[in-house]
Amino acid sequence: MNVPQADRFDASPWAAAVGSVLAVAMFQIRRLLSWQRLLLAGLGVVFPAAVMMAVRRTARTGLDDDLAVLMLYALVPEAVCMLGLLVTMCPAVADELERGTWVHVAVRPGGRRALLLGTYLAAVAWTGAVALLAAFLALAIMQVPQPLHLAGIFAGLVALSTLGRAALFSLPAVIMPKRALVASVAAALVVEYLAGFLPAVVNQATVSLRLRSLLVAWMQWRQRLPPEMQMLVDPQPPWVQIAAVAVLSVVLVTVAAVILEFRQFPPSDEI
Amino acid sequence: MIEVVDLVKHYRASDGSVVRAVDGVSLQVAPGEMVGLLGANGAGKTTTLRVLATLLKPTAGTARVAGCDVTVDPLGARRQLGYVSATTGVPDRLTAREIMRSYGRLHGMREPEIARRIAELIAALDLRDFADRPAGRLSSGQRQRVSLARALVHDPPALVLDEPTNALDVVGARDLLGLLDGLRGEGRAILLSTHRLHEIERRCDRFVIIHGGRVVAQGTAAEVVGGRSGLDEAFFAAIGAGAVP
Repeated sequence: MNVPQADRFDASPWAAAVGSVLAVAMFQIRRLLSWQRLLLAGLGVVFPAAVMMAVRRTARTGLDDDLAVLMLYALVPEAVCMLGLLVTMCPAVADELERGTWVHVAVRPGGRRALLLGTYLAAVAWTGAVALLAAFLALAIMQVPQPLHLAGIFAGLVALSTLGRAALFSLPAVIMPKRALVASVAAALVVEYLAGFLPAVVNQATVSLRLRSLLVAWMQWRQRLPPEMQMLVDPQPPWVQIAAVAVLSVVLVTVAAVILEFRQFPPSDEI
Repeated sequence: MIEVVDLVKHYRASDGSVVRAVDGVSLQVAPGEMVGLLGANGAGKTTTLRVLATLLKPTAGTARVAGCDVTVDPLGARRQLGYVSATTGVPDRLTAREIMRSYGRLHGMREPEIARRIAELIAALDLRDFADRPAGRLSSGQRQRVSLARALVHDPPALVLDEPTNALDVVGARDLLGLLDGLRGEGRAILLSTHRLHEIERRCDRFVIIHGGRVVAQGTAAEVVGGRSGLDEAFFAAIGAGAVP
């Protein structure tokens, strides 16, 4: 207890906050480096390519390029990202809250915020890497024209999908940690796949609408969309869609952080 | 160093009723003092300790750690406090060294200071033989030592321990309490809750017995025991549970 405080702690609160978030992120990544998780990640990488190969072989007259891109969109930014985040974001926070590690993080300055943001960062990095590899592998075997252009499009879609969906799953994780996975699946189905496909104001607050709209804009499909499909995409320019996902992510993570900051955990035997 | 004054904590139970988990508890722990917080399950021990650790907000009253009010300045209180619980919550995949490093970063400590502190704690808590082994492969006693090291990584002047010997065998408990003796000798204020009265009877400087959320007795061992045969009997008398058979 003899070392001066100034020499022991980061001078800048920002440096301390970033250090805390990175410490939790590294801890979560370390937890993900088990052979079971790596096997699951490997399956996530190979699965879309395997499906695309199977479809291409089955299609008698060859697979239309646009249809192939649409299928890859459903497989990677939707399925792989969604499933990846379901197993990385939500249970990771819930485990912390339920298994007792949580209290030891929460009694540190900024620990609650670091727990959420660090886990968010790890989930986005892990799932994003898996989804990117999956997209690139599938594109490599699909023999579509302009594969590099498509790789860029899918990199953007994957980044936005992971950022937005991880933020969405952070809410059930802090609101109901005991039922976090079930609540996250419900949120995915109700928010992303029910509300997201309703041609009403409510779909404006979903990531799925923004991703679909970006895909249509970047693939320049808008003029070719049938009239009944036009209402399922947003006509505004790509930067609006990107900004909407960014704002949505910040709002959701902030709300989750505030809930976590004020959440109390009473001992069960004293209630 | 640790000060609790007229602390009240009420919960709303799932049936809507109000549970008075802590109902006017006051206690103090001075630097270099170890105080035992005693009580049956549900007496309010863990709630009191969790308020001090800023995990719960008090309904009324105050709780301070090294002068920092846990409600007004929770960050200050967290910087001054080390917290150990019965469930160690030690991550299985990480080694003791990695755990201490992660928690040092959570406190905003600089890397050279973290390295210096880890070396100090490995020597002081005798972690040398298992400092680089994943915590999942450690015994209960070793895990509790790692948990204590994690609580001490930022060198706090106050320590709160919630039933730290619960999962330990007799030897593990004796060793842990021996370590706490050393920490008290360094001038730290230690507040310790436990059920194992015989283990702490001769180690704590003072005792606080709570029952139904209220303090029913407190003082040195001699003051609490009075004319009875030992701390066990004094405890049962204080909580109105009859004589020791």
